[in-house]
Amino acid sequence: MTSTAQTSAPRGARRIDGWRWAGRIFLAFMLLYTALPMVWMLLTSIKSGFAAMQFPPQWWPSEPTLASYQKLLDPQNSVGQDFLRFFWNSLFVSTVTTILAVAVAVPAAYAFSRFRFPGRKFLFFAVLLRNMFPAVIFLVPLFILMRWLGLVNTHGSLILTYLTFGLPLAIWLLKGFYDNIPFQLEQAARIDGATRFQAFLYIVMPLSVPGIIATAIYSFIGAWNEYIYAATFLTKNEQLTLPVGIQRFFSENTTDFPGLMAASFMMSVPVVVLFLLLQKYFVRALTEGAVKH
Amino acid sequence: MTILEGPAGAPRKPVIRQPGLLSQMWTARADYLYVLPAIVVMLIVIAYPVYYTIDLSFFKTPPGLQLRDKIFVGTENYTAILSSEVFWKVTLNTVIWTVASTLIAFVLGYASALALHRDFAGRAVLRAILIIPWVISAVAASYIWKWMYHSDFGIIGAVMVQLGLVDRQPNFIDNVHTVLPSLIVVNIWREFPFAMIMIMAGLQTVPEQLLRAARVDGASAWQRFWHVTFPYLSGVSTVTILLLAVANFNSFIVPWITTSGGPSNASHIWITHIYELAFGRQRWGVAAAYSVLLFIIVMSLGYFYVRALSSNERKEDSP
Repeated sequence: MTSTAQTSAPRGARRIDGWRWAGRIFLAFMLLYTALPMVWMLLTSIKSGFAAMQFPPQWWPSEPTLASYQKLLDPQNSVGQDFLRFFWNSLFVSTVTTILAVAVAVPAAYAFSRFRFPGRKFLFFAVLLRNMFPAVIFLVPLFILMRWLGLVNTHGSLILTYLTFGLPLAIWLLKGFYDNIPFQLEQAARIDGATRFQAFLYIVMPLSVPGIIATAIYSFIGAWNEYIYAATFLTKNEQLTLPVGIQRFFSENTTDFPGLMAASFMMSVPVVVLFLLLQKYFVRALTEGAVKH
Repeated sequence: MTILEGPAGAPRKPVIRQPGLLSQMWTARADYLYVLPAIVVMLIVIAYPVYYTIDLSFFKTPPGLQLRDKIFVGTENYTAILSSEVFWKVTLNTVIWTVASTLIAFVLGYASALALHRDFAGRAVLRAILIIPWVISAVAASYIWKWMYHSDFGIIGAVMVQLGLVDRQPNFIDNVHTVLPSLIVVNIWREFPFAMIMIMAGLQTVPEQLLRAARVDGASAWQRFWHVTFPYLSGVSTVTILLLAVANFNSFIVPWITTSGGPSNASHIWITHIYELAFGRQRWGVAAAYSVLLFIIVMSLGYFYVRALSSNERKEDSP
């Protein structure tokens, strides 16, 4: 049997050569589709305003310049001041959201994974369903709630709101991880005299570090890229986060495409770096819930 | 316990009194402490807004959110929506947007995952590049594409002119006929990586023996895909398609940043329309009624999602 399989394998491989080529051509097309906009963003960002507006467009700028980046990163001029402040605001809001989301989600996800209390299924699906609702439904009521809490125009309003979508996602992702940690490990610890909480703290927590990292990245990226609540809850310029700040900037400087592209690039850097560094966790987490190994 | 009790086929009915729900809950009371913080947060920020929106949808509201002055109008907001022309236009746009984005993103993601499944030099790098559009901010993505579609200096139009496909720079997003397809291209750019990741993970679970057996039986590559891989991944595929559909139905940033629904509503989808009604024209009551309708649609999609998830779980439970 095995020998048949082995001899027929190379023949099969030769026969599907056509598919392999189709796959390569397809991937080349996808690479072009995916990378071209990003390449064009980078190339535009190192042009002067004049060079960006040429017809036909120059692919490689004749005089590449970092002027747009200098302008955005220079705390001396007003554009740089704003940009750096937006950057800091985004960083602050995203970091606090991430920490809170993970802290609240860890016990909840653990309970959903391990315990069999009545209403468990219902509560879990209720949590999952939250991610299916669009932000727009929540905008007005949350705005009124924030006004009532006195949080309008504070970063607290954003953090609280971001938890509404960060939390369900975090619980779902972490539950996937806990489901894959063998229950026997805890049982063994319990037999050795550990309490349930000790077993959780000393056995399960260390094993779920990859899951926690992945969940943290997702929460961070979600908060970093969020636009609609930030655009609604914040009106004061000094509090804006990057996505809204960039939009405001662009509505005032409608033709500064190099500046806009440089800002878009710098807004993407933190999340892309995070993603590239922690890719392994990132991809695994997303699929843990939907695909079981 | 039951295993110890003896031979199958001689079922002696065990006399176990099923404890009542309340006593079960009381026994499990400590378990609830773990989920309590999450539930409290969710109640404040979800249950209250949902209740509030339903309530508001029956009122006529003055602008400026001075909501003490609202007037009860019954279902007037709903009839106003359903009889307006814009509603049907926007609904058609939403259907085209959701269906086209979902299906094309799914197919491209699926095909990418299949093509990336085989090992080759540079595979990891290529995979990372293909995922990046999904990670970067939708606002940045919208601006990048808006710039590429620019009616005077856009690179896409310029390339088309240089290749001789068109005579002069086409106006992609200021044209009622091309705006929606152009934005769908942007949306797919952002979303196909999600489908790719899901299917890539699914592919790893397809048992090698099945594929080998099919090959021994003389199945072609296409037959192996169609009769083994594809059915094997049906669960993941369903979940992926549903999640994509919901995300597309709920998309806001791409159409809002690029065109704000224009020109003449050609790229308005439900969400952008609701947002404009509420925050642009301050017609809170109508916007709330729209939200309730949306809520019902999303809930029914959610029903299928939960069903797909639990059938995946059941498959997993039974050996």
